[in-house]
Amino acid sequence: MEKFDAVIVGGGIAGMQAALDLGDQGYKVLLLEKQASIGGTMIQLSKVFPTLDCASCITTPKMSAVSSHENITLWTLAEPKKIEPNGDRFKVTVFQKARYVNEKDCTGCGECEQACPVIIYDDGYDESLGPTKAVGVPFATAMPQKAVLHDDYCIFCGKCARACPTDAIDFTQRDKEIEVDAGTVILATGFLQTPTIKEEYGGGRFKNVITGKQMDRILAPTSPFGGVYRPGDGKIPDSIAFVQCAGSRDKSIGVPYCSAVCCMYAIKQATLLSAALPLADITIYYMDIRTFGKGHEEFYEQAKAMGVNFVRGKVAKIKEKEDGNLIVRVETFGEDGRIEEFEHDLVVLSLGLVPQWYPKGIVNVDIDETTKFIKLIKPMTDPTLTSMPGIFVAGTAGGPKDIVESIISGSAAAMKAAEWLNGKLRDAFFAKELDVKQVTN
Amino acid sequence: MSQRTQENEEPRVGVFVCHCGGNISDVVDVEKVAKTISKDPRVKYATHFMFMCSDPGQNMVAEKIKELKLNRVIVAACSPKLHELTFRKVVAKSGLNPYFYEHVNIREQDSWVHSHEPEKATEKAIRLIEGAIERLTRQNPLKPGKKKTVPHALVIGGGVAGLTAALELARRDIPVTLVEKSPFLGGRVTQIDNIYPTGEDGKDLVDDLIQKVLKNDLITVRTNTEVVDASGSIGDYQVTLKITPRGVEEDVEGLDKAIEICPISVDNEFDYGTTKRKAIYKPYPKAVPNLPAIDWNTCTRCGECLKATNNKGINLNPEFKEDTIRVGAVVMATGFKPYEPLPGEYGYGEDPNVITLPQLIRIMENMDPNSKEFIYNGRKIKKIAFIHCVGSRQIEGVHTPKEGKELNTYCSRVCCSTTLWAANRLKKRFPDIHMFDLYRDIRTYQFYEDIYEEASRNNVVFVKFPDEEIPQVKIVKDDKGLFRIETTDILLRGKTVAVPADLVVLAVGIEPNPIRDLIEIFSIPYGSGGFLLEGHPKLRPVESSMEGIFLAGTAQAPMSIQETIIAATAAAGKAATILTKPEIELSPFVASVNLDKCEGTGRCVQECEYNAIELKEANGGKKAVIDPSLCAGCGACVPVCPNRAITLEGYDIDQILAQVEGMLKGVKAE
Repeated sequence: MEKFDAVIVGGGIAGMQAALDLGDQGYKVLLLEKQASIGGTMIQLSKVFPTLDCASCITTPKMSAVSSHENITLWTLAEPKKIEPNGDRFKVTVFQKARYVNEKDCTGCGECEQACPVIIYDDGYDESLGPTKAVGVPFATAMPQKAVLHDDYCIFCGKCARACPTDAIDFTQRDKEIEVDAGTVILATGFLQTPTIKEEYGGGRFKNVITGKQMDRILAPTSPFGGVYRPGDGKIPDSIAFVQCAGSRDKSIGVPYCSAVCCMYAIKQATLLSAALPLADITIYYMDIRTFGKGHEEFYEQAKAMGVNFVRGKVAKIKEKEDGNLIVRVETFGEDGRIEEFEHDLVVLSLGLVPQWYPKGIVNVDIDETTKFIKLIKPMTDPTLTSMPGIFVAGTAGGPKDIVESIISGSAAAMKAAEWLNGKLRDAFFAKELDVKQVTN
Repeated sequence: MSQRTQENEEPRVGVFVCHCGGNISDVVDVEKVAKTISKDPRVKYATHFMFMCSDPGQNMVAEKIKELKLNRVIVAACSPKLHELTFRKVVAKSGLNPYFYEHVNIREQDSWVHSHEPEKATEKAIRLIEGAIERLTRQNPLKPGKKKTVPHALVIGGGVAGLTAALELARRDIPVTLVEKSPFLGGRVTQIDNIYPTGEDGKDLVDDLIQKVLKNDLITVRTNTEVVDASGSIGDYQVTLKITPRGVEEDVEGLDKAIEICPISVDNEFDYGTTKRKAIYKPYPKAVPNLPAIDWNTCTRCGECLKATNNKGINLNPEFKEDTIRVGAVVMATGFKPYEPLPGEYGYGEDPNVITLPQLIRIMENMDPNSKEFIYNGRKIKKIAFIHCVGSRQIEGVHTPKEGKELNTYCSRVCCSTTLWAANRLKKRFPDIHMFDLYRDIRTYQFYEDIYEEASRNNVVFVKFPDEEIPQVKIVKDDKGLFRIETTDILLRGKTVAVPADLVVLAVGIEPNPIRDLIEIFSIPYGSGGFLLEGHPKLRPVESSMEGIFLAGTAQAPMSIQETIIAATAAAGKAATILTKPEIELSPFVASVNLDKCEGTGRCVQECEYNAIELKEANGGKKAVIDPSLCAGCGACVPVCPNRAITLEGYDIDQILAQVEGMLKGVKAE
């Protein structure tokens, strides 16, 4: 059984940060990523608030640092099947999906993708806005730069294998299970957007009602559209609406909490849209604007000054017109207080954050009954601790966070893991009473 | 002019122009830049790419170095603050001297600022790169110096952030000195008896942390201690501490009596002035250290207290001492203070029943636990009005800044949840109480939404007032209440409402503790509101751009307790990364003195802000000697030397002139 100091589950920004911090301090880390590339949600984003740095500029160097780090072993298409205590340590059973591509031989040239006849729209990197193939490198800045073949879509025609200049396609690969030994585990399993199940907003059926992440893909330099067009018919939108709390603060969809980032990402998208489409009307329908982080309130004020229209009111219903435009019904708070309807040609649902991964059956850590995020057993004094000693949580796996908070919590979890590895935190858990010394002065 | 190369080879330059995913290429014609630059005979390769910093981009640089035997590399991209190090590593891995790399900023200094003039921006990019080529082909193979690290950390501030940082560092086997300015540990959290969202008593929470800190042999705790001076830099600071004596030196009988008979009575800061305390005092019974302390600013040294202790244990004329310690890193955990409203702001100071939220929390703890009624200032409180965003989210033209200060434009993050948590507690204790909440946006983010919901269920009446309006608090003393607050209610279609109240509670914001002295001592950058500035919000979120200085908690930004602890743990982790290594690499970009030319004028010594230069006997006379570990490479000493004896390594005068000429090639004087 291969031995590691730490196993980190999740190769998004929090997991990568934790891996880099531990690796830089000389600990041997195994980083598990379920997808074919690390990078998590952040690598999909356009620019990030409140500084409007491009997301790639922050993420890709970290991805590169992870992959070339002497102390970090990276397994993609891999997730834990079982994590169980093993004496003072943990036994982690890893399930790794077959890539059907020999990583050693693949040069990432993309010939296989060219040859593949299967076109798919899935909720991967481009959030179903752009086509991908059944085989290919996941995206331009993917790490590792290796092709992956999706056996759910592959028709086994063999065209890719014939096209591959290095004979790297290997249909004989099989999913496998590998057991490893670890001193500590960090869960950095991230989040998903709230599903678009809300019937009042079309239940995901309206073509020109898109999700927050889709809007970020449209605005990204690597946009599948190459510009801002609405997905229904390719029209350039003149009137764009953002519906806040579309997937949060809403018991009817099981998300009673506030997702903490949607106000800021909507304002960021509105700001970027104002630059991309200077003539477009941009409206944000909201209940409360929650721009509480460092520099966030100022960012909000700037968006108001740029002409983004903020309308206080919870959107009750969205209807689709024949021409693809949307009618947004909202209770506004104007003088007569009517329920009003407004027409927009593109609507963005500012969806919230729900946990991506459930530990049940894999590892015995508690989850919060209401929110379903991993439960912090000492939320005030030790906010990276799970209910299992030696297992820590980083990033949005423990609750909604923005990127800065996720990075900081990745570093914090790494610190706790390092303390666990040197035995000091263990001593604290099983408190060895010592004499209290005197305070100097 | 001789060209100096690593192996005395002809320079073979590679130029890589980054699109920055459109950030640059939307304005700058990157193709034209690469094409134009490739005409320079020294340039053996020039190209452009979507994201140079990505793995494929980095690999391309490495491959081209190998394939074309490049010995100088230029990447024209973002600010060097972001990715200069990234590419230096790539160059070093490829076997070149890492300083044969030049990062040209064509984003912040070009495409972002000239977005309306793409042609000129393209021209500027070319010229910046041409200048860089001239400098780089004259670069020496620099070698960074090394310096031994002092494996000891200084944590400034004894609140939750500082206590956490100290404990985490000690658990990584790093000795820590924790200094706290006040005589007692625990900070602001001890002033909150019931903390959202768990309902814990802040004193218990802090006490648990304090006990762990005190049990740890690696941590030295010094209360009543301030940092008054420091020299040195990352890895090795000499810090001077000023220690104010406690006055009470021993736990003797009669100390309680001493407090009782002290004739001095001053506002008790622990209760935010809602109670009085003596000149010899202890904020709460279990305060740590548990000995009372003497407040030297108000003590008249009358000696009454000594009578209570039989002249034992108390020393009214002790010595104020100084001490010096050496540390390798500093964690700033200096915390916050609540915003103090201006006189008359929302009626504050005009009537004692206008109080701040921190005051309300203290009043609630000090209340008679058996009382069935909320009595304050002799008045039964039946109606309370909370007003949010006092001292936060201030808008120019609407709010008034404090004298000599800027407006607090930021949101203080925790006041909404804290206010509604207090409202819910009041409702539980006094079910008949009526509460009104005057707000702009309720920001009970993340799971704190529960608190808002509970407040709604508790029939708190929410009144949303417009951002650009200030609710008017009027003292009316009518049968409805002591105050009437007039404001617009957006939720009532913009109607003007009059909210009655017996008590007005101002949800004041968070300001950083005033630490101008520390900011100057350690040269720490700070930003809006006076909060300490991080190196980069996403790349270095808990580190100051002044290396060796780490940021923990509300000194950096408003944060909840949970967020403070996460930040303090992360900051400790970053400090540990430095302190667990025996030495650190120094920047090679430091000034050096040609002793033959130096005449010991001492002008450079005056100019140096980092105390890196000293006049010493050498070569038969007084000469300037520069300590490379202190030199920040700012270059201020270079032009003041009348003998041109100082050179800034990596930026010598020939290089700079050549760079300027490179940029201006072909430009005619007008």
